[in-house]
Amino acid sequence: MVAAWKAAGLTYNRYLAVAARVVRRSLKEDLRLQAERRGEMDLRFAKWEAGKQGENKNLASANEAAMAEAAGSSSS
Amino acid sequence: MLSRAARPALRAATAASARPVALQTANYATLKEIEGRLKSIRNIEKITKTMKIVASTKLTRAQKAMRESRSYGQTSNTVFEKAETKPLEGEGKKDLLIICSSDKGLCGGIHSGMTRRTRALLVDHPDTDLVIVGEKCKAQLGRSSAKNVQLSFAGIGKDVPTFADAQAIADQIVLLPTDYASVSIMYNKFLNAQSYEPVTVPAYSEEAITESPNIAEFEMDDGVLENLREYSLANSLYWALAEGHACEQSARRNAMDNASKNAGDMISRYQIVYNRTRQAVITGELVEIITGATASEDM
Repeated sequence: MVAAWKAAGLTYNRYLAVAARVVRRSLKEDLRLQAERRGEMDLRFAKWEAGKQGENKNLASANEAAMAEAAGSSSS
Repeated sequence: MLSRAARPALRAATAASARPVALQTANYATLKEIEGRLKSIRNIEKITKTMKIVASTKLTRAQKAMRESRSYGQTSNTVFEKAETKPLEGEGKKDLLIICSSDKGLCGGIHSGMTRRTRALLVDHPDTDLVIVGEKCKAQLGRSSAKNVQLSFAGIGKDVPTFADAQAIADQIVLLPTDYASVSIMYNKFLNAQSYEPVTVPAYSEEAITESPNIAEFEMDDGVLENLREYSLANSLYWALAEGHACEQSARRNAMDNASKNAGDMISRYQIVYNRTRQAVITGELVEIITGATASEDM
């Protein structure tokens, strides 16, 4: 049996990140602010092709897009 | 005005210079110049001192994060130790090297140390693909071996790396189309506050895990292995990033410490030069006044 998150195209890491975010958000206010700083991610990335740097993209949105694509291909 | 008028004659006597007028103005300018330089060096010292203090406080946090992250990496590696996993000697398959540097400079040679190490590795395995985390190594390796680079990440190193960073990077690496025989992560190992060395840790591919000799010891469902691989990649990455970050902060602290020290040396040296020049000017002026006075007395 495939787990629901797998069927939705998430990677294990993404699944963990989402779970961790939920736990952090359910904390009390003062602890939550502290904990949420540990979950911040603000990276940009670029694909390189044939020695040329591609466009700088936001990593979070790119990951989401890739996973949405994976979900589309696995469900069809 | 007296000094200006009396100067050329005096100068010509002491120094056999061709252009005494130019020398005179140069002398006055140097005093001002030295003053200006002194001021700017003092400012530089202030800046480097502040940066050192900032790096020191960041260092304690970074070291704490490093110690915590170590347990992540070591725990996840226990599985592979018990399973006696070895990196595959893949035929015709490519290797992947993840380099964990950061975006910021002003921290001595820790980035170029990794770059050099990578270049040395590339000589032996010229078709290794690179994933570079951080602008500094990207700039250096982008010049020398741009065609090996597959991905580059930026925005790391502002703060202590989070596990979310490592997870996002690991996800993007997993999404790479090529199937790699072995994945290694290069980072600066924190030996002590003064020394670091670039080391590589392996992150195993799924195939390598299944072919490890002791894998039968573990009982697992299908599909778990892929998760384990992804998760252990994130774990190792987090470890590498945190340790690299700690190294960077401590290197920056040292670099700024040295810079402040050098600035202090320069300040004392320039202070002496400044005082000497000032005295020389005063003496010169006195000589001129006295000479002028005695000369007019005799007349």
